Amino acid sequence: MSTATTILTEDELRRLKAPARREKLFRFASYFSPLLLLLIWELSSQFNLIDRRFFPAPSAIAETAWRMIVSLELFEHMGATLRRVGIGYMMGAIPGITLGLILGLSQPARRILGPIFSALYPVPKIAILPLILLIFGVGDASKFVVIAIGVFFLMFYNTMGGVLQTPQIYMDVAKNAGASRFQTFTRIAFPAALPSIFTGLKLAAGSSYIIIAAAEFLGARSGVGFFIWASWQTFAVSRMFVGIVVISVMGYLTILALEALERHFVAWAKN
Amino acid sequence: MQAVQEKVRPSPAKTAGAAIEVSHLTKAFYDSQDDRVTVAVSDVSFEVERGEFVCIVGPSGCGKTTVLRILAGLEDELSGSVKLHSSTPPAMVFQEASVLPWLTVSQNIAFPLSLKGVPRAQQETRVREMLTLTGLTDFANALPHQLSGGMKQRVSVARALVDDRDILLMDEPFGALDEQTRLVLQQELLRIWETTGKTVVFITHSVDEALTLADRVLVMSPRPGRLVADMRVPFERPRDVVEMRRDKRFWDMTYEVWRLLASPAEA
Ligand SMILES: Nc1ncnc2c1ncn2[C@@H]1O[C@H](COP(=O)(O)OP(=O)(O)OP(=O)(O)O)[C@@H](O)[C@H]1O
Ligand SMILES: [Mg+2]
Repeated sequence: MSTATTILTEDELRRLKAPARREKLFRFASYFSPLLLLLIWELSSQFNLIDRRFFPAPSAIAETAWRMIVSLELFEHMGATLRRVGIGYMMGAIPGITLGLILGLSQPARRILGPIFSALYPVPKIAILPLILLIFGVGDASKFVVIAIGVFFLMFYNTMGGVLQTPQIYMDVAKNAGASRFQTFTRIAFPAALPSIFTGLKLAAGSSYIIIAAAEFLGARSGVGFFIWASWQTFAVSRMFVGIVVISVMGYLTILALEALERHFVAWAKN
Repeated sequence: MQAVQEKVRPSPAKTAGAAIEVSHLTKAFYDSQDDRVTVAVSDVSFEVERGEFVCIVGPSGCGKTTVLRILAGLEDELSGSVKLHSSTPPAMVFQEASVLPWLTVSQNIAFPLSLKGVPRAQQETRVREMLTLTGLTDFANALPHQLSGGMKQRVSVARALVDDRDILLMDEPFGALDEQTRLVLQQELLRIWETTGKTVVFITHSVDEALTLADRVLVMSPRPGRLVADMRVPFERPRDVVEMRRDKRFWDMTYEVWRLLASPAEA
């Protein structure tokens, strides 16, 4: 294989590597495409194409943001939100993946327990927020729980779907190679479901931020959601936008991080 | 049949009795959707001696894979019985692509060893041997999606050999290979078999391959598969897979098997 460079011409090598290079270029560009939107917004606001009372220019928002950064106020809210999302996400993802694997592998478990999850899944998570606040109080526990519930179902269904799609031949290989039930679980079902698990993780990250924003509107003294709500009450539109942008960026970065992990762990799944 | 009288092989492990006993095996599949029953295998009986190399030939869909899967314990028989006399479970080489796409070539080959918790160093030594044997050393760290179909098939063969089980079940393992690679792997398989005394049940579409490898050839009828012949292959061991093609008996037997395969099924 080391002889490839001597056999192939410069031109052939260049063409061989072109798709990979293009892929890198696209990835690079994908980080910056949102910036284009921002630029359009700035110009529209500067030239009064949109109402500045509702849509202050990004530069004005940035100025507000800068003040909040310097005063560290922003980081407190971000920290609070991130902690709630992080803990709630784990609390939902770990049992979601585990149960998804178990029900995916075991037909009896799927038959018996499946209907319970199917019945609970359609309940809108935000609709039960008041109930959760009632049970767990207005502290962080209620935030963890409501996020965990949302994440759980997405992870559960995506993982189980991934396991159910595993070709039978992999199970046969494991059985013939002498795998125990537990080994089939960890060495076959889990890796086979990994692409679906990552799909679930990304969906769950998105919905976590939706849920936390709503949860912090209702009952919280900190967090980006609280901050957006408080800004609305004082009609501080620029601050409100800072909150919206910050929570969006947090979601965006989370998904970028998950995509980086996905590229690393499921490199094998690309054809 | 003339060939049957001419048994020549003084095999070392030949006296030990049956390794596999299949008696009156019947297997059917039921599709409840359109209420259809497919009889895959009908009343098949045969024995395989310990250390014997048996090939099964038969037309597509006659139940060869089904028999092998039942031997491997991956499928249950409907009636009849299957007995294996072996200290280790049988190793299977599957007909379809069966490498695990998330493991590298080395990890795929080491899979049965790693399940057993064999020490890392020991695994590596063994895997290196298998890579050399199957000519995959350069691709040790490649992922399956980077391999050709024939290379994947060689990985499956290596995986089945890696933990040295007594019984080897091979379902058209060289089907996807070119003539040269097939010839090399046939030679290697014969060498391994001769030195280890494994019991081998080998499925193939190719009469030529069956006569090259086997002590006995079992011929199956079209579905529902029955055994229509059990022929002893008379060539001495070790065989030279090229030279044996000059032997008239080789072509006589080829003719014989083809005649059996070509005759219409008795329904
Ligand atoms: N899981 C299954 N469900 C339903 N029918 C099956 C199943 N497995 C096999 N069959 C049927 O049983 C018959 C025998 O199949 P089998 O795979 O054993 O054939 P084969 O001899 O290995 O054929 P080939 O040489 O093409 O591999 C076929 O008619 C097939 O449709
Ligand atoms: Mg088959």
